[in-house]
Amino acid sequence: MRRGARSGVVVLAAVLGLAASSCGNGVIDKSTDGVPPAEATGTLRVLIPSFPPSNKGREEFDKVVEDFKKTYPKMKVEPDFATYGNLNEKISTSIAAGIPYDVMVTGVGWVQTFASKRLFADLGPYGVTPEVIQDKSIGAMVPAATYDGKLYAYPIVADARAVALRVSAFKEAGLDPDRPPKNMTELKAAAEKLTKRDANGTITRSGFDLAAPTSFRQTYTTLLASTGTPLYLDGQPNYSNAKGVETLEWIKSMINNVQVYGQRNAAQQPLVYTGEAAMGITGGAVDCSDKGIGQANCDDLRFFRFDSGKEVQFVGGDLASIGSRARHKDAGWAFIQSLTKPSSVDAIAKLNKKIPAYKDAANSPQAKSNPLSKFVASGLELAIYEGGSANWLEMRGNFDTQLTQAVLGQKDPAKTLANLSGQSR
Amino acid sequence: MSATLERTPTVASPRRDAPAKDSRKLVRSQVRAGWLLLAPALLHSGIFLVIPIIFAVALSFTDYSFGDSWSWVGFENYSVLFGDANFRAAFANTVLYAVVVIPVSMAVSLAIALGLNQKIRGLGFFRTAFYVPTVTATVAIATIWLWIYNPGSGLANGFLSLFGFAPNQWLSNPDTALPSLMVVGIWQGLGTKIIIYLAALQGVSRDLQESAALDGASRWQRFANVTWPALGPVQFFVLVTSIVGTFQVFDLVYVMTDGGPGTETMVLVLDIYQNAFQDLRLGFASAETVILMLLIAVFIGLGRLLQKADVND
Repeated sequence: MRRGARSGVVVLAAVLGLAASSCGNGVIDKSTDGVPPAEATGTLRVLIPSFPPSNKGREEFDKVVEDFKKTYPKMKVEPDFATYGNLNEKISTSIAAGIPYDVMVTGVGWVQTFASKRLFADLGPYGVTPEVIQDKSIGAMVPAATYDGKLYAYPIVADARAVALRVSAFKEAGLDPDRPPKNMTELKAAAEKLTKRDANGTITRSGFDLAAPTSFRQTYTTLLASTGTPLYLDGQPNYSNAKGVETLEWIKSMINNVQVYGQRNAAQQPLVYTGEAAMGITGGAVDCSDKGIGQANCDDLRFFRFDSGKEVQFVGGDLASIGSRARHKDAGWAFIQSLTKPSSVDAIAKLNKKIPAYKDAANSPQAKSNPLSKFVASGLELAIYEGGSANWLEMRGNFDTQLTQAVLGQKDPAKTLANLSGQSR
Repeated sequence: MSATLERTPTVASPRRDAPAKDSRKLVRSQVRAGWLLLAPALLHSGIFLVIPIIFAVALSFTDYSFGDSWSWVGFENYSVLFGDANFRAAFANTVLYAVVVIPVSMAVSLAIALGLNQKIRGLGFFRTAFYVPTVTATVAIATIWLWIYNPGSGLANGFLSLFGFAPNQWLSNPDTALPSLMVVGIWQGLGTKIIIYLAALQGVSRDLQESAALDGASRWQRFANVTWPALGPVQFFVLVTSIVGTFQVFDLVYVMTDGGPGTETMVLVLDIYQNAFQDLRLGFASAETVILMLLIAVFIGLGRLLQKADVND
């Protein structure tokens, strides 16, 4: 029996060893940093949500790879076309598995958190500093890409939001479409006038679409900033105050008053595009062709920005970083250079309905392609973004949950904001 | 007698010794074969259960969040966990979901199995139809139910409108979101339970049923005194698998509500997932995992006690 047990243990140990060795080896390259680009071999692992899983998306990505290979001809590029929904899962599991990505494209809220965790590398050694980005890119995106005075991400495209109104609905309600409501008081009054109900009192057309039916985080951030109160000030939470409570109370007063909680259409498009809402928050581009919402619908839209004392425009975006544990940091930087060439950025902007994050975005092909992109491109210097604390990524889910509870009347707005403020680090 | 006993080992003839040796050899080879047969299962359990459990428990005492540095924090994650509103809501929702879904789905499954155990027309069709949800991907099921619950054009509101009821925001309304998910959970879990109950019902002694009928026992008395006791071990099996399944509910909630509105449908596994892979708090999520393991163990223990009480009755 003892011999049997012993041999069993030996077999078990051998198999475990084999399994462990197969997990640990074979997929991690030797570092190519310092190796001349023409001689560097290995696989550059790229996590990127910027190319949609369509033939066109793959085609555009291949063009970036082709450009990269002019510098690193012997290196392979292994893309992981993630979505923003599973970006964190991809990053965390790659770290847990010990096979980190070399290049990671993430959103505005990611950079500071990942920089503070030392998951992203400082781009300073490649000559990229906040000042350089200020010159070459959208200045308003610099704070979101900076941590502790160093730059950790290179902006690729900006994802902007505007507010739109339907001219016909305004005229029908006796409102002037050329003088859109801008502050929260005016917006609420107009929205209440524009809301249509059936005989049972059920809302049949929303007066104002808050755009994210179950997530108020970004809307709250924008509205709060429009009162001249940024979400974070010098890394400290700035929402547990009178303006913060007032803003949250405003959202609460709109839900189930001018818009039913959770309302969205099947296409998950802004409701104002289709006339399901008379006003509402939009994305950064609108397709006026027959494949999109059509020219007649487009002509019925007017765009404006929130302004309760300060005109602001919410901006997110895609930013490229190099992993601090990357095996091919130099090659990663070469890839980012290919990715941020104007031709690549224009293609990404078109594919994702976003705005190129280069200096002259207002004259980009994307900005000229539709009236909404033109409008948001002209307001990039008014950009405000979400986040501002090192643990924003950890708490933003909870931020959403608690705001929703306050909006639905399950929690007191002031206590909610105080609680969230206490969780911020 | 005693002399014989004492002498036996010393004068054991080769003929007598051989069977003893043979039997020891046989035992050894059986043990070896046993270990060999157990090896794949042990290996699997070791790699995919024991090691992860040990890691989860160890991580629950750290502040690991995928960054470069981490430290031991003792029981801090646990103390923070019990003060965390999301965890408390997830805990309460999970227990409530289990307490409603398990007994209701078991009772409905048993009732349907009793019906399918009769000689009725279209038996094969009904058996297949009830099993279809079990072999269908949860994401597909959730998508169909999302349409059923759609406030504008869904079947649920369409049906209620026939009786003059106003449309309801099933999944957006805090009062109806969790019950709506429970209905889907009950419906989805029926197939497996029905098959198990059906197999058990076909093993209930017909002799006993006939004897009871001849003694004048009513249908209910036959069910209570013959069928029900015979189903005892199966009930326990169904209970344990149901407890594990309902406490680990995730995909249904993830697709249909993502835990909302607010935390109205937040369940433990979804909260663990969000903490670990969205909020990147792996140490904290590990502590929550340990709590979930203990919770399942407590409920299985309660199930065992109930079964023992049932047998003793």
